[in-house]
Amino acid sequence: MSTILYHGEPSGPSLTVLAALAESGIEVECRPINLLAGDRHTLPGVKDAVTLDMGVEGEGPVLVIDGEALTESVFIAQYFDEIGNGSLQPKDAYKHWEMLMWCRRVTERGSPAAAFLKCQAHAQPVLAAMDDGAFAKLTAAIASEDLRARWENVRNGNFPVDQIADSRTKVIGTADMANAALADGREWLMGDFSIADLVTYSWLCADLVPEAIEGKADLQAWIARMAARPSVQAALARATVATPEACWAPGPEINRWG
Amino acid sequence: MTDVTLYHWEPNANSGKPMLALMEKGVAFNSHYIDMLNFDQHKPEYLAINPQGTIPAMTHGDLVLVESTAIMEYVNDAFDGPNLMPGTARDHLRIRWWMKFMDQWLAPSFSMFGWKFFVGPNALAAHGREKIEEQISRIPLPERQTAWRKAVFGLFSEEEMAESGRRIGVGIRMLEEELGKREWLASDAYSLADVNGFNLAYAMPLSQPHLANDELTPNIMRWLRAIYRRPATRDCWKLGRTPMASRVEILEQDYIPPRDESEGISSGVNAR
Repeated sequence: MSTILYHGEPSGPSLTVLAALAESGIEVECRPINLLAGDRHTLPGVKDAVTLDMGVEGEGPVLVIDGEALTESVFIAQYFDEIGNGSLQPKDAYKHWEMLMWCRRVTERGSPAAAFLKCQAHAQPVLAAMDDGAFAKLTAAIASEDLRARWENVRNGNFPVDQIADSRTKVIGTADMANAALADGREWLMGDFSIADLVTYSWLCADLVPEAIEGKADLQAWIARMAARPSVQAALARATVATPEACWAPGPEINRWG
Repeated sequence: MTDVTLYHWEPNANSGKPMLALMEKGVAFNSHYIDMLNFDQHKPEYLAINPQGTIPAMTHGDLVLVESTAIMEYVNDAFDGPNLMPGTARDHLRIRWWMKFMDQWLAPSFSMFGWKFFVGPNALAAHGREKIEEQISRIPLPERQTAWRKAVFGLFSEEEMAESGRRIGVGIRMLEEELGKREWLASDAYSLADVNGFNLAYAMPLSQPHLANDELTPNIMRWLRAIYRRPATRDCWKLGRTPMASRVEILEQDYIPPRDESEGISSGVNAR
């Protein structure tokens, strides 16, 4: 069986899966790609582009097993945990449900918000500087129309003020949720360390929304514990640039139901 | 006696997912019907169970669980019975991928059409605008209030409806292609992805007859009929109380020919 993990710089969803891989104790071939160059849409040897292009997460890591492309960082993290040492998910069914719910709250509300703000700050200048032909070639390889539209919005600087405000509110909301969970003195969000910690840390976006963590001592202490975690350090050691937190490509869409 | 209670609306979409999962697992449960269009889900008795006012919710002893797909994973983990997360870790990833894709990308588009042409007008006719507006204003989460107003009053823009229509078309083609690869949607054995998908797709031959029928989508039709034949599915849909659930009977027809778009949700379903 051939398994390859294609990942971006260790930020957002790529940080989650690279740290989960390090936690799991398994070995998988990792190949860095440039998500903002559209590399994800032209991977070699992929038989079926459907999941790769249509995943809700947008431009995240891709696990290719025998030519089958599998996406969504939380599920890839669960995959590594299942075939690895099983240390990243609660065994108790209810606690497992709590972890799934936590990850879903983060990825449904926090992630689109973080991706929106990060793309405005970091991806827009890169895409705006591309010449028209190169950008047209990049987007022509994207099967998903709505994902392609998000790329175009980033390049065109289409960041409506109400969505910026809403995104900042959602980033703060995710941070508040984490701070509240830590209020009872627990070390990790679900008690034991889990994928919930990795997902929350990966999509925090506190560099762009510093008020999200200001004055929150429990959250700041948790951030320091996360940063010191060997798996997070191993993921960050895979960076090929000085500031991986500034490397983002279009992510999940903002909920169409408002 | 059972210590499991499910608070649900019709066997359809989100409510139907944990209903069918429990029945497939053979878990006895107290069925507590929540009349969504009477806003039972925002009444104090229910908010005491689930303060967010979303349905479905499930209690297991003292535990309270919400969010249909997450509840299904809990049901599969917590109870004996057939494993609805079958196969290898790779299958599990694929099952979860399809559930997320349907929950967050495809189902909201189906839902937009369903509310615009069927559920919303029926709710307004039954309860009146003023009463519904007053009930929406009591919903705790502001984004849920927005979603409810859009849904009941049909406040979807032309662009939103066009985009939802596009997604329904793309989604049906994707389901057809995937079901051409294997017997079930995401694994070689029946899984939560099939339970999830049936709740999304069972009425497609009725609501989207120009897109889902025995000529254009034979794999989808084979799959829907196979799920409909399962005893758990029959028992589950018996818990329906409205014409919404009885749409499932279209799957008793052995052959569904292609029809014109106008014979679908904007006319045929609405007229029932």
